[in-house]
Amino acid sequence: MDRKTDRMKPPAGRSCPMANRRQVLAGFGAAGAGGVLLASGTAARAEAPAHVTDAPAADANTSRRSTPFHGAHQAGVATPRPANGLLASFNTVLTGPEDMEDLFRRLTARIVFLTQGGSVPELDPKMPPADSGLLGFKIEPDNLAITMGLGSSFFDKHDWLDGLKPKALIRMEQFPNDALRSELCHGDLSLQFNANLQDTNIHALRDIVKNLSEYLVLKWMQDGNVPPEIPPADGSRAPSARNFLGFRDGSANPDSTDAALMDRIVWIGPETGEPDWAVDGTYQAVRIIRNFVERWDRTPLQEQEAIFGRKKADGAPLGGNHEYEDFDYSGDPDGAVTPLDAHIRLANPRDMGELPFLRRAFNYSNGVEKNGQIDQGLLFVSYQADLYAGFISIQNRLNGEPLEEYIKPIGGGYFFVPPGARDTGDYVGRTLVEAISKTATTHT
Amino acid sequence: MGVSHKLATTALAGLLLAGAGSFAQAQDASLDLVGPLAEYKIYVAENTAELVKDTQEFVAAIKAGDLEKAKSLFAPTRTSYEAVEPIAELFSDLDVSIDARADDYEKAEADPAFVGFHRIEYGLWEDGTTDGLDEYADKLLADVTDLNNRINQLTFPPEVVVGGAAVLMEEVAATKISGEEDRYSRTDLWDFEANFAGSEKIFDLFKPLIAEKDPEFVASVQANFKTVDDILANYEAEGGGYVSYLELSDDDRTVLSAKVNTLAEDLSTLRGKLGLN
Repeated sequence: MDRKTDRMKPPAGRSCPMANRRQVLAGFGAAGAGGVLLASGTAARAEAPAHVTDAPAADANTSRRSTPFHGAHQAGVATPRPANGLLASFNTVLTGPEDMEDLFRRLTARIVFLTQGGSVPELDPKMPPADSGLLGFKIEPDNLAITMGLGSSFFDKHDWLDGLKPKALIRMEQFPNDALRSELCHGDLSLQFNANLQDTNIHALRDIVKNLSEYLVLKWMQDGNVPPEIPPADGSRAPSARNFLGFRDGSANPDSTDAALMDRIVWIGPETGEPDWAVDGTYQAVRIIRNFVERWDRTPLQEQEAIFGRKKADGAPLGGNHEYEDFDYSGDPDGAVTPLDAHIRLANPRDMGELPFLRRAFNYSNGVEKNGQIDQGLLFVSYQADLYAGFISIQNRLNGEPLEEYIKPIGGGYFFVPPGARDTGDYVGRTLVEAISKTATTHT
Repeated sequence: MGVSHKLATTALAGLLLAGAGSFAQAQDASLDLVGPLAEYKIYVAENTAELVKDTQEFVAAIKAGDLEKAKSLFAPTRTSYEAVEPIAELFSDLDVSIDARADDYEKAEADPAFVGFHRIEYGLWEDGTTDGLDEYADKLLADVTDLNNRINQLTFPPEVVVGGAAVLMEEVAATKISGEEDRYSRTDLWDFEANFAGSEKIFDLFKPLIAEKDPEFVASVQANFKTVDDILANYEAEGGGYVSYLELSDDDRTVLSAKVNTLAEDLSTLRGKLGLN
């Protein structure tokens, strides 16, 4: 049942004339006081008195900035991470390859519009509007990137995709410290939304849910953000964002501006044993990792630092001076400085070359657990050319780490991110669509 | 102000209803609504009359202490309510007392305000007895009788009738697909079927008015209804009705979700397509 108590309510009233008059008068005041500044519109606006419900001032520079969509790779992997993220997992309903192609083409069209911006089409007011309207009627790009991934079940449920599943793609398996909740795991298709503002991500999610309802059924989602940092005054590299345990997260991330490095670590190259259609794609590992923050906050600082292997204040390695400094453990074989089971030492022993994955995490906060504790944690996302050498082997090295007392992975999944749409005539997923017809041709 | 004139004052309407004949079409459509509306009124009246009759039997079984009979009558009695829910909901006081669920109340099942079908369902399945249900049974019968009388005196607003096709899909999408509706008896699929039947009835009645203008829309909606019907047919029980909601497979639930959401999206444009406010 659905109560219709709002049905008979009068439409929302126009703004009160008195309020309008006050605004006008206040405007005159500002103009009078800053008369000579009026030539500069921004200066005059800066002096307008602010009201409780005035929209917070958007930053024209960041909201108009767009993350390029077209290219060999999908955006949202090696492109800079904006402050807000949202990971949504869907079940798909496809009756055949034609449906898959239609889904990919239409999804690409939505992604192009949402990430590059534009005006919302106006429809007959007797019709439901084309857009939720939550960002108004002109959509700014706001650095939005939408990244599509395909789960193992996507390939398993369609016999017309036989033989085309990326070789390392499996259903996420339980690690020893996991307490996976089925309602937060796996899925046929993932969409990662990254933007400067969470509203931009939510708007994009709602647009896609509305426009692709016949193919996509939302299974779970998790949003998160990272706290901004004031850039260093000397122009040096910005520090990594902090996680909800208060530590800098991602300090040892490979340099995403180094294209050759990304080709080795993140992107599937030719002749790797992967299906041809998967070249220039990557594996996405998603983990929803609950943090027990109250208990963590009651843990002595030196113990927190020993558990991570880094200093909390500046993120420098124990015994080191700077977050990004190059170091190894050759002088500390017994763990006198950095315990052998410290998080960063287990994850990256620094004796095996570059770290084989690229992390792109966000912090999440979901309210209150039944026990009265805050439900917070890390929406961990990593990208790697080899799921085993990347996330799985690193997580296996971390099994049993002291940090496990304070964290509990509860959800997530593995997905394969197909190559990007190269130009305006292309669409995400085309190579997979074409691989089907090639397979079909070979069979006949 | 007539429908056509209102449309003409909207600059965009001119774009959307391209062609000189379109305004005349819209005017015709408003006249054409009369027939389907009258037919729908009969459909609703038949259902509410059936509801009263079935509720009488259901209540009699409860008061006779016949637990098994009462349980067997629960789902079939509800279907005639579920089929016409968009109209029944116009009387929100009765909708609450007939069909509210425990989670509409802060104290859930223990809340004294929790009455109606689902309170009785809770007694029959969770408590496993008809004891203590007489009071709820009497109130239910009084409420459905009241509903029947009120609906018979009601002038059906066209936009509510036409909009009802989508409203029924919203019902399924919001509470049925998740198995929250009949959580004690697990007879949700009976409600599913009734909601779909009620929605399809409305669509079928008004379909002739748009079939020529928008054949793709009609074909798409019909195909989605058919998929739903085909899936539900797999869950029919031997003695009539449907098996437990728990037997619905995850895959079928996913397909049903997609179809229900798409039907809700498509049918939400039905009012606009008919030029209704």
